[in-house]
Amino acid sequence: MLRIYQRFWMINWAEQWQYRANLLMYLAYWVVFPIVYLTVWSAIANGAPSGMVQGMNARDFAAYYLTLLAVDLATTSVSIHMLASKIQDGTISNELLRPVHPILTNTFVNDLAFKALQMLIFVPVWLALTWLFNPALTYTWSSFLLALPAIVLGFLMSFLITTTTTLMAFWTTRVHALHDLVFAVAKLFSGQFVPLLMLPLWMQGIARVLPFQLSMSFPTLILLNKMTPGDIALNYVLQIVWIVALFILFRMIWTRALRRFSAVGA
Amino acid sequence: MKHHFDVLAAYIRQNMKETLAYRVDTLVNLGIMLMWQAWDFAGLAIVFSNTESIGGWRIGDMIVMIGIFRLVNMLMFSLVWPSTEAFNRGIREGTLDYTLLLPIDSQFAVTFQKIVVWRAVDLLLAVILIAVGLFYSGAMPVLSNTLAFVLLMLSGGVVLYSVWVMLIALTFWFTKFDNNVTLMQALTDTGRYPATIYPVWLRLLVTFVIPIAVATTVPLQALRGELEWWQFAAALAAGFIAFAVSRTVWRIGVKKYSGASA
Repeated sequence: MLRIYQRFWMINWAEQWQYRANLLMYLAYWVVFPIVYLTVWSAIANGAPSGMVQGMNARDFAAYYLTLLAVDLATTSVSIHMLASKIQDGTISNELLRPVHPILTNTFVNDLAFKALQMLIFVPVWLALTWLFNPALTYTWSSFLLALPAIVLGFLMSFLITTTTTLMAFWTTRVHALHDLVFAVAKLFSGQFVPLLMLPLWMQGIARVLPFQLSMSFPTLILLNKMTPGDIALNYVLQIVWIVALFILFRMIWTRALRRFSAVGA
Repeated sequence: MKHHFDVLAAYIRQNMKETLAYRVDTLVNLGIMLMWQAWDFAGLAIVFSNTESIGGWRIGDMIVMIGIFRLVNMLMFSLVWPSTEAFNRGIREGTLDYTLLLPIDSQFAVTFQKIVVWRAVDLLLAVILIAVGLFYSGAMPVLSNTLAFVLLMLSGGVVLYSVWVMLIALTFWFTKFDNNVTLMQALTDTGRYPATIYPVWLRLLVTFVIPIAVATTVPLQALRGELEWWQFAAALAAGFIAFAVSRTVWRIGVKKYSGASA
């Protein structure tokens, strides 16, 4: 099995490597949003008499959004961009002929290869941003070690959510609209738009129930040492429960999708 | 000139037919657009539940800002993105040659062939938002400021159009440059907030390189009567200059272009 993944890695890495110049451009999509919001909150904090909003000053906001940006790049799955068109134009059937699960091998490794390469390009950009915004980075070695599994699990969650959404392409041609809807909800409740602390209490409640904060806000706050041990433990349990639930959902929809796909082709 | 208007009318009719042929898709897209509008409101409500002003801009001002941003959004989604997609496909597949052969100005044909007609809804939304925002902030602008606002909105639109034309014209030199509008697409979102709160380097970027702020913050400042007369004149002149430069770049580009496959 490991050999299979190794093979897929070689293919997908080579494929992504061709587009390395484009990756630098795509980075712009990721970078602009957090910069805009870190500026907005800095302006608000600097305008307040205490220089703070909800206990955060401009440098804290810079640290939050720049850390979040790195976490976002590491955990957000982009599988829909390849997978949706493969399902729509039917080329997925070539992959279905192989004796391995196409989503859990090829799509998964492709996502990973994309992330690995993008991370390489991202490091100098991130360093430049840190120099520009002078964030109060409160990382420690232990916060890194504690956050690492949360980032990996966060990516798995995001991968399952995105691919399960994309599988709807077997039923509808409007899968991108559906993805937009999920994306909008996620953006609001994941901590990507604002630190969850800034949300009104009832919205914080919703954010706790939804899975999205687990792959954004959670790893970010561990990295910044802003979480109590009890909260960290609770969120880790939540991550595992969500991954199991999402995986079961993914399997169910995948089986149905295949049945439906062969029905169309027959 | 009249000829151009006739052709434009024909393009709009043609695109209208396409919209009507895919009615459900249009409705779904309209729904998505309204959803993001609701998202914007939720975002504003959240931000302003923590503060009264963003660097001196209050909630009424921000509603006006969102209204203005809708106009920029309309330009992008009705014209710029779809036409760029068609243009890039034309270069890749060689069909651009047919467009260039048409007995009409090639820049006109490339930039107005694809118009997503239903996005005109944005115009209505923008007017409502601007009116509501102004009412909310309690600062009704005087007539001269309103006139300056409308003029600068138009000139800002022309500036954005011209920058876009130059960006896609670059493809004539680097045929593989199909990321031509990525940066513009990414930076469009900076138009949601007044550029005056951005750090200097970002303000310079969105004013002079990808001048989103020229079509958002600057007209808003005119509406609030914050512009000196020379700033107004400069912003207005920017529209004419940008258009002239883009025409030249386009002409040289087309002359240089010899097909992607040849």
